Amino acid sequence: MKSKKLISVMIALCMLLSLGITGITATAFAADDPIVIGIISPNTGTLAAYGTGIVTGVQLAAEEINAAGGILGRQVELVITDDQGDPTECLNAFNSLVAKGVTLIIGSATSGCTSAITDAANEEEVCILCPTGTADSLTTEDDYIFRACYADSFQGAIAAAYAKQAGFEKVGVVYCAADVYSKGLFDSFSKACEEYGIEVAASQSTASLDVQDYTNQFAAMVSAGVDFVYAPYYYDVIGPYVVPQARAAGYTGIIMGADGYDTTPDYVVAGADLTVFNDVYWTNHYDPGADSEIVRSFVAAYEAAYGSIPSAFGATGYDCLYIYKAAMEAAGSADAGDVRDALADTSTVYECVTGTFSLDESGTPVKGAAIISFQSDGSAVTSTLVDVVTQLP
Amino acid sequence: MKSKTSRGYLLNTVIVVVLFIGFQILTSLKGSEGSFKLVIVPSIWQCCYLMVLAASLNLVLGFMGQLSLGHCGFMAIGAYTAALLSLACERAGLFENKSDLSFLLVLIASVLAAGILAALLSFLIGIPALRLKGDYLAIITLGFGMIIINIINNLPFCGQDGLAQGSAAASLYKNGLGFGSKAKVQFLWFALVVTILSLTLMFMFVRSKYGRAIRAIRDDEIAASASGVNTSYYKVLTFAYSAFFAGVAGALYSCTNATLSTSSFAFTNGGILNSTFVVVMVVLGGMGSLTGSVVAATIMFFVNYQIKNGAWVEHLPASVSGVFEYPMLVYALVLIIVILFRPKGIFGSYEFSLQNLIPDIRRARERRKAAKAERKEAQAHG
Repeated sequence: MKSKKLISVMIALCMLLSLGITGITATAFAADDPIVIGIISPNTGTLAAYGTGIVTGVQLAAEEINAAGGILGRQVELVITDDQGDPTECLNAFNSLVAKGVTLIIGSATSGCTSAITDAANEEEVCILCPTGTADSLTTEDDYIFRACYADSFQGAIAAAYAKQAGFEKVGVVYCAADVYSKGLFDSFSKACEEYGIEVAASQSTASLDVQDYTNQFAAMVSAGVDFVYAPYYYDVIGPYVVPQARAAGYTGIIMGADGYDTTPDYVVAGADLTVFNDVYWTNHYDPGADSEIVRSFVAAYEAAYGSIPSAFGATGYDCLYIYKAAMEAAGSADAGDVRDALADTSTVYECVTGTFSLDESGTPVKGAAIISFQSDGSAVTSTLVDVVTQLP
Repeated sequence: MKSKTSRGYLLNTVIVVVLFIGFQILTSLKGSEGSFKLVIVPSIWQCCYLMVLAASLNLVLGFMGQLSLGHCGFMAIGAYTAALLSLACERAGLFENKSDLSFLLVLIASVLAAGILAALLSFLIGIPALRLKGDYLAIITLGFGMIIINIINNLPFCGQDGLAQGSAAASLYKNGLGFGSKAKVQFLWFALVVTILSLTLMFMFVRSKYGRAIRAIRDDEIAASASGVNTSYYKVLTFAYSAFFAGVAGALYSCTNATLSTSSFAFTNGGILNSTFVVVMVVLGGMGSLTGSVVAATIMFFVNYQIKNGAWVEHLPASVSGVFEYPMLVYALVLIIVILFRPKGIFGSYEFSLQNLIPDIRRARERRKAAKAERKEAQAHG
């Protein structure tokens, strides 16, 4: 009885204490203090692989930059927050970062989460550099939002161009109408198909981005007689559900996806028939096997630090910090307003792992995409580069 | 007796008004400060909608004893109704910016419309659903919750091309209900007034003849109907009344978050706002205690927020703060500890009351003393 009471009182005290400490936060940063960069990413939850990728990528870049003397002679310090892939939590994480005095933020991984903080960032005059949020609308409305990846209007069009190039005249789409990412890709894909004279013979929507049954959708694809299906989803359903169920429903053609397919091979169900992953193509931000100096040294450093090949999230996260570094050095200050002005300069060229590019007026890189395919002999799923597209036909 | 009740109401009103005015003064003094604007005010907004939501579910779950697992569905209806209505008003030119008086009217209309539409739909759902009991009702409400989410997803003007898209979310922020940090401070009083009003209305409902009837249904439905209580009427009525406030909570939600996404209202998701966690809030606070729901909603929010964003986490030893990288794990542990020590919830069925606080404490202490003495005696005899 006594101990119970003691523990209850202690828990209550902890909570009270935590309330008190929330109040003491905002601190001003002096000139030789470290430059604090906040990261918002889904480190736990269903999209944790994205968050881990971004965090490890940024950490690697921070270690390299700090070892080389920092930015403007100041060391880089990271504050990592978790949004669990939820817009409300993302806004909370953003507010807590800003209250701590952080004005340069990298995040978040998905378009849905990032759209929750873009306007708040604009109001608070805080820079956001989004590593992988591809929805077009993210950067168009606000001044303080930039990103290190291409937008969906480009990504979806590349998939359509690939279908055209491969000679398909009739395609199908399975997507989620309720999600910014999936719907955005569907829009740009179908618009590009119209331009290229490809008929979208069937389009099926799922209720959410994480439903677990796609049999009906792919059965409809089979009955529509299409051999090319565009299915923009995230890795958490691609490996376990979408591809195996599509094949089980009798669909044998090509399944094409977008950057959400990254890290799929790590999340396939053990013991399942992996040959179903043949004929799966997707567009990505970069190819880890590319034969350029910067990619090779990045992949080697990442493997040495974390023991795995970096996903595109690791690569764009890594790029984000280097873009900030370039912008801060161009501006000669780490002040959010100055960094914003430097990032808004469309003539600056950034040499990054995911390509050499400059940012356009909306704050989106002008760069190409890698088309990657999955291959499997039944024992493991491997990725192979098919093509690098820098311009739409 | 009557004089005591009215004295209680008077006391509560006075205290609430005094606190409210004090808070307004505090807001006007500290409104522009960073941590107040960015941490405390958004937290209060979130607490407000969680409180109203938890209390409204408590009417159905705690007072009527019917397990509903689709409560966030009604909240989603409210959130989308309020957001779309305010956007429509803005596009019709009813208000220019958020400091207009007409915006306030639109705001009030949006909140009311959110509640009314949610109540209307829950009435339609409730007529067939409330013929079922227990587990079956839980399953059917779960199903309806999912159906609502899917319908919203596929409506062309809200899920598909509407508010899920980033640009529309931005327009919600700039023109519609979505409040930025400054607007949240400016309209904090509104959130508080809506919350206080909603809680008062729910409390009055529970105290009224309707409240007594639904508690009779909870305790024994057959006996209640044998005594002349029209059980299906009261059940549907309470269901709709509860959904009204879920809709109001949804309207507050759409003010707090500039963007709306149906995944936030799903049965389960990454955050703490989903139908499962609302049930957890009610159980944690105590089924049949509105004040318990209010306290539980606040605690659940703060635990969740503090685990993830609290500054104190950094000062913990490395081995402990490592666990904090998995917020849901810590969160679950806290919940398990609370339920282990208080199986009937924090408040049980006790209602916190200012007037009865001192006598209640005295009585509880006496009870405990008596129980202790009894135990001692039993030991001595045994």
